[in-house]
Amino acid sequence: MIFAGIDIGSITAKAAIIKDNQLISTHVLFTGYNTLTASQKVFEELLSKVNISKNEVKTIISTGYGRNSVDFADKALTEIICHGAGAHFLNPEIRGIIDVGGQDSKAILLDNNGKVTNFSMNDKCAAGTGRFLEVMARALELDLDLLGEISLKADTPANISSICTVFAESEVISMIAKQEKRENIIAGIHESAAARIATLAAKIKIQEPVMMTGGVAKNIGMVKALENRLKCQILVTDSAQENGAIGAAVLASTL
Amino acid sequence: MQELKIFHEAIQNPGSVALKMKEKKRKTIGYLCSYAPEELIYAAGFHPMRLFSSKAEINLAESHLQAYCCSLVRGILEDSLSGKLDYLDGTVFPHTCDSIQRLSDIWRIKTKYEFFADVIMPAKLNTQSAKNYMRDVLIKFTTDLEKACGEKITRSALKKSIAKFNLIKTNLKKLYELRSQNPGILKGADIHAIVKGSMIMDRDQLVELLPAIVSKVSDVSALDQGKRLVLSGSICDSPDIYDIIEQAGGVVVGDDLCTGQRWFDGKIPENEEPMEALTTRYFERIVCPAKHSSTIARGENIVKLAKQTEADGVIFIILKFCDPHGFDYPYMKEFLDKEGIKNILIEIDDHSLNSGQLSTRLETFMHMI
Amino acid sequence: MNDKLVEKEKQKITSAKKMRDIMTTYYIDAMSAKENNKLVAWITSGGPVEPLIAMDIIPVYPENHGAMIGSSKMGEDLCMKAEDMGYSNDLCSYARTDISCAIVKGGPIGGLPEPDMLICCNNICGTVLKWYEIQARFFNVPLFIFDTPVCHTEFSPEIAKYVRTQIDEYIAFLEKVTKKSFDHDKMAEVGKISYQGQLLWQKVLNTTANRPSPMTAFDAFFFLALIVTLRGTMIAVDFYKELLLEMKERIKNGISIVPNEKYRLLWDNLPIWYQLKWLSSKFSDHDACLVADTYTSAWCSSLKYIDENDFLNSIAEGYTRIYLNIGVDQMADQVIEMIKFYNIDGFVMHSNRSCKPYSFGQLDIKRIVESKANIPVLMIEADMTDPRAFSQSQVETRIDAFMEIINQGK
Repeated sequence: MIFAGIDIGSITAKAAIIKDNQLISTHVLFTGYNTLTASQKVFEELLSKVNISKNEVKTIISTGYGRNSVDFADKALTEIICHGAGAHFLNPEIRGIIDVGGQDSKAILLDNNGKVTNFSMNDKCAAGTGRFLEVMARALELDLDLLGEISLKADTPANISSICTVFAESEVISMIAKQEKRENIIAGIHESAAARIATLAAKIKIQEPVMMTGGVAKNIGMVKALENRLKCQILVTDSAQENGAIGAAVLASTL
Repeated sequence: MQELKIFHEAIQNPGSVALKMKEKKRKTIGYLCSYAPEELIYAAGFHPMRLFSSKAEINLAESHLQAYCCSLVRGILEDSLSGKLDYLDGTVFPHTCDSIQRLSDIWRIKTKYEFFADVIMPAKLNTQSAKNYMRDVLIKFTTDLEKACGEKITRSALKKSIAKFNLIKTNLKKLYELRSQNPGILKGADIHAIVKGSMIMDRDQLVELLPAIVSKVSDVSALDQGKRLVLSGSICDSPDIYDIIEQAGGVVVGDDLCTGQRWFDGKIPENEEPMEALTTRYFERIVCPAKHSSTIARGENIVKLAKQTEADGVIFIILKFCDPHGFDYPYMKEFLDKEGIKNILIEIDDHSLNSGQLSTRLETFMHMI
Repeated sequence: MNDKLVEKEKQKITSAKKMRDIMTTYYIDAMSAKENNKLVAWITSGGPVEPLIAMDIIPVYPENHGAMIGSSKMGEDLCMKAEDMGYSNDLCSYARTDISCAIVKGGPIGGLPEPDMLICCNNICGTVLKWYEIQARFFNVPLFIFDTPVCHTEFSPEIAKYVRTQIDEYIAFLEKVTKKSFDHDKMAEVGKISYQGQLLWQKVLNTTANRPSPMTAFDAFFFLALIVTLRGTMIAVDFYKELLLEMKERIKNGISIVPNEKYRLLWDNLPIWYQLKWLSSKFSDHDACLVADTYTSAWCSSLKYIDENDFLNSIAEGYTRIYLNIGVDQMADQVIEMIKFYNIDGFVMHSNRSCKPYSFGQLDIKRIVESKANIPVLMIEADMTDPRAFSQSQVETRIDAFMEIINQGK
């Protein structure tokens, strides 16, 4: 039997398909302005990629901040629950999740059945989210995807202490003016974001093994900074960004 | 229900309530905290009205209060400076937190309402001398009010006023009890309107409306149950939050809010010497975190409330930048955790309710409990 | 040594070393209180400490500890530890660092000695009430709250009566905790010493009215520690006598603290502890000297209400009418008096996220000062201990622009 999960995030839309308890494929698109259109498009493109017709899909669960706009889904669940299910599906040992997306970051605690027992989430401030990294990448005139690799070359990460994104940006700009090495600035940015995320993790007393999910997990520099902060190893799968969609598909199979 | 409409209209437009009161020869005195002795204000022939922020964009208040001041305090100052509160004839500031303390100063210097008073209540509420001081402060406030209205507040006028407020507050308590037994008899947004309206509307009208509502909802047969929740915090003046809670599958069954049970709980004995009875009630009521009665009073109270209402979970609703509640949260959470009562913290700001994030949190929370 | 270095040596205030030694001894004594069978009381900075001294109880000041944590740049880490415990980062950073320090025993001195009792006076803020409740729960020790209602416009007879009664309750509390009876003769003596210490502190601060100033507010922030922690002891009196002599000597010899003092500035609110050095050289580079501040003078601002011969009766008013426990308009009046007394060219206000009673109202004081004293006012957004609320580049630009404005006006 075939099940699908659709995760509409603030920046990207993700879809995943599960058949007979096996992950078949996933797909990612930019969300754009219209969340409903994005959800249809990401779903249809994925279906044609794996040659499955809509009728074959038994149940669909939508998730992410745009979950309620996916009118063809059977049920909407929050991304926190779905990331829990996704992580548990990919690795049943996982007890802690750090999910860093475009506008939110979360720390999630799971029991041995993959059920969420506690979670914490950033306040409305953008520090420690994908948006924060995006603002900083723009200040550095760099492609967002390059931050991770470049930061690994840092010798002494710059100290960016401000909690506020606007303040932090002005700190970065003044460092650029002082010709601080780019890799050190980026490493400093990662450390600053990691500090914020670590607070979320501490609030729920996160447990190992820890998995990082969400688009920001693709940034190797961020993962390393978080590992240093949390003093533990962090697992990242190839489908970290699609983990919420995978979880939604998993949960769809239990409906 | 016809009665509900009246409440919803009144809270939309407190100014029109004040104008109507003026026709009834009652001048309106605004207040900022549930320690304001409404009974005295009313007995002096004034109309007590709690002030809330209209949530208008902050412009004028920006040049008086920095961005790290809570949205309630900034919002009320904005309303005053922009003329939205011109219907007021006066204001009273019971001493509460550091932010309201400074708002009182700015208000006294900047605004031009006829009447102004600081009612500087004690911060500790567990000694005889503090109680004596509270009585002294209430007597001093009585004198201030008498000067303003030009008449003595007689013992019988105060007794009558106490009886009226007792009636209002007892009915609200009944309403809360009925809701706890049969959640869903009223929408959260409706209860919000009723409680808020009871701090704003004509008290003569309230003594008619509230018993009518109580009797109507008493007969409603049992409704669908959701996850039973208790709210704890300062004020919760965003009806949207109640809708989000209900959409996420929850029902509110009780609260520890300044705009809720903390305000109306504690009936004043009517057969005692009125000033003494009034003092005792304000001295012994459920304590606000800006005051001290014991180091564990609020922790014990929230556990008791959650157990009494058989709550599945507690939602802490704290205004961003609210110090007293911010300091109490970790220990109150610990008290609940020890009892195995699930809880979640929501930080809100009157001016920007991030409903997307809020529903994600609350839906996940309901799923968890 | 070249001339420049000699010059620099001469500019240094020599009493600083002695002060450091005194503080070290004080903390060693406090740390070894248990071994010496002495009791430790934690007390708020504006609290009535004299009865403790009279009872031979060692007072310890979490706020002074907060300042030390800030100066040693350990604030960020300790603040974050408190946030991990669920305390919002919007809460006072002194409270946050102290709360986490009590648990992790961190900070520059590995945490304060554990208290046997807590004395909380709310004349400085409502935050201390919550903070001390937290510590009372954590250490499970008795808490005495000395409640000083705010005097928006007056010290009313009701307030006077209430606060006076609490002095007796305070003494009864101490007798109960120590199981000793209170020595009123000793109290009278301690009262006189406290009064004398505050008077000397005021005189030290007054020396900066001289042009050029013999010290800056940055020095005052440092020398303040004794009037806070050792108020009521001869140690403070003796030290401030020496410091006063040194200041007079510097004035006589024309030694200024800022080499080419051209502009005289007044500081408002708590120091930005982790940036003192940078700020001090920043202003000094502009030939500006921060000659005075509203903060350090708070420990003598209500001297006028205190009668050294009737100490216990008069401190009710003295401790209630301190700088922060009065109305914003009265605070503005005091600022204007200081501007006149110290011949101030510009007013620098620290808008301090951690301290709401000090910071809310600042914008109104700013306007009053601008119109009545007709001098430029600069506002810096920061926090006293938590460096994450400070943006150096932004502050730098503002200071540069502010100094340009003052220069133009000259």
